[in-house]
Amino acid sequence: MYDPVVTLQRISKAYVRAGTEVSVLRDLSFTIPAGTFLAIMGPSGSGKSTLLNVMAGIDRPTSGSVVVAGTRLDDLSEGDMARWRARHIGYVFQSYNLIPVLTASENVELPLLLTHLSRQERREHVRTALRLVGLGERMDHYPRQLSGGQEQRVGLARAIVSDPTMILADEPTGNLDRESAEDILTLFGRLNRELGKTIVMVTHDPRAAERAQMIRHLEKGVLESPP
Amino acid sequence: MTFGWLILRNTLRRPVRLALTVWGLAMVVLAFGLIRLTLDEWQGAAKAASKNRLITVHSMSGALPLPVAYKDRIAVLPGVRSVHHGVEFGGVYKDPKQPLASFAEPAATLLTTYPEILLSEGERLAFVQDRRGCIVGLSLAERYGWKLGDVIPLTGTIYPGQWEVTVRGIYRSSNVMIWSDQELFLQWDYLNEQVKTTQPDRADQVSWYTIATEETSNPRAVALAIDALFANSFAETRTELEQAFIAGWLERSSTLLYGLEAVSGVINGIALLVLMNALAMAVRERTREYAVIKTLGFQPRHFCVLVLGESLLLAFCGGALGLGLLLPASRLYAQLTQSNGYVPPYAVSLETVGLCLGMMIVVAFGAALWPVIRLIRMTTLDGLRHAG
Repeated sequence: MYDPVVTLQRISKAYVRAGTEVSVLRDLSFTIPAGTFLAIMGPSGSGKSTLLNVMAGIDRPTSGSVVVAGTRLDDLSEGDMARWRARHIGYVFQSYNLIPVLTASENVELPLLLTHLSRQERREHVRTALRLVGLGERMDHYPRQLSGGQEQRVGLARAIVSDPTMILADEPTGNLDRESAEDILTLFGRLNRELGKTIVMVTHDPRAAERAQMIRHLEKGVLESPP
Repeated sequence: MTFGWLILRNTLRRPVRLALTVWGLAMVVLAFGLIRLTLDEWQGAAKAASKNRLITVHSMSGALPLPVAYKDRIAVLPGVRSVHHGVEFGGVYKDPKQPLASFAEPAATLLTTYPEILLSEGERLAFVQDRRGCIVGLSLAERYGWKLGDVIPLTGTIYPGQWEVTVRGIYRSSNVMIWSDQELFLQWDYLNEQVKTTQPDRADQVSWYTIATEETSNPRAVALAIDALFANSFAETRTELEQAFIAGWLERSSTLLYGLEAVSGVINGIALLVLMNALAMAVRERTREYAVIKTLGFQPRHFCVLVLGESLLLAFCGGALGLGLLLPASRLYAQLTQSNGYVPPYAVSLETVGLCLGMMIVVAFGAALWPVIRLIRMTTLDGLRHAG
């Protein structure tokens, strides 16, 4: 158990576009305690997704240090980062990003290919994860045979199947109707309450953010102080 | 699910492209295989030739005759076991455009000098005892439906006139690389007897001698002794090991052989391009998916396995289909390039199969290289932004 799970110290991130430096994150420091369900809100271009990607080890800050699940990420190579991600991060994408030629259960099984679990054990894990998201009966369906909400639930099952330290979700309800969005948010709540998972969700939807324990606002790369 | 299953699902994703790629590779393997067959046939004869047989021809040209009287003089040289001789007969049977590979040679020494000719004892005896007898290879007999005792009318091209020979034996070859089973042998005595009356100036002449040497002798020394024996005579000789003789004959066709070698190299390049193109398209289309699995924790070695696995699978399917087509195609090729026995029939050797498969493996690795490097270099973020 890592507490805090995330420690960001003086994080800055800047891109150079057309010869001009664009600052996305500005001298940002904060921690996320273990077992927190945090929503990060902000308008488009505020740096929410960049911040999430920095925590996931998908992107690197220009300066500052990132410690997630006890590991300082800025020292890791790409290969080590991938290995670390496999162990500690479950990532939920806005557009689901399922592999179209694999069934729901095969999509969920993907992260487990990187573990030493036997085929039988992997199958058990997949079944458990899909039942948890309410898709136990749709294991052999292909993504094209599922609704958007069901696809996102498969995406969520894929994120939790390897029992990661933390779940990061980038606008997980952005492509869903209200009802499906509610289902997903309910699942996040259960994962947080019943399994104690640390969840960081980026959203611009206030109703989605209300389901989190904590909400932090990001404005032009700067985190507003908590109330 | 396993990595193998993932590779298979990725490979089967676009059936039309898969079919076209596999078919394209199969055609390339087929073309490569046919070229290798041709090269094997040409070069195989030299490799398979005997090390204890010498060929003696006129020193000026193999087309010039030597006197048959040389036979007895060669026979007494140390290290010589037996001396055989022959001429090309060039008989035509039915189709004037396709003269048979036919030769006139003494029956007794033919059978002892060339153990590659497999005949029953009865057939051997019948051939030796019948001055107008002949033996034919099994393939030739099957092509024309000849049986023992059939009388074959031949029209002479090198020795003009109408000739009739009786089939006394149908032989098999113990090694088709050196001894074709599509040839016809008639008795040299019969030919010479006729030539004495029709073209006396061509009588008692042979085109070549085949000298079988003793196992314990040095064939090169025997060859030197033969040529020394006829030095400064009106018909000097050139004697070579059978292997060297055939290799020298091939040497005259070396430009063609080098050309074929070059074409087979170009074909490798085409296979590489076909596969590389298919893989590059597939990987480009799936860039976002690869970025997703990179997010899940897949590492560079996993991308190597996925892309190389797909490349090997495609190459294997193309190679297997190409080799499957090579067998019937080689028979068709042999028919289309019918040499009437002058060149042995084409046969797909294990070496050719190995070369084709080896070529596919090399091509698979080569084709996977760039897509793998691209994936490894690609950052997860760039991949996720790919609009593909």
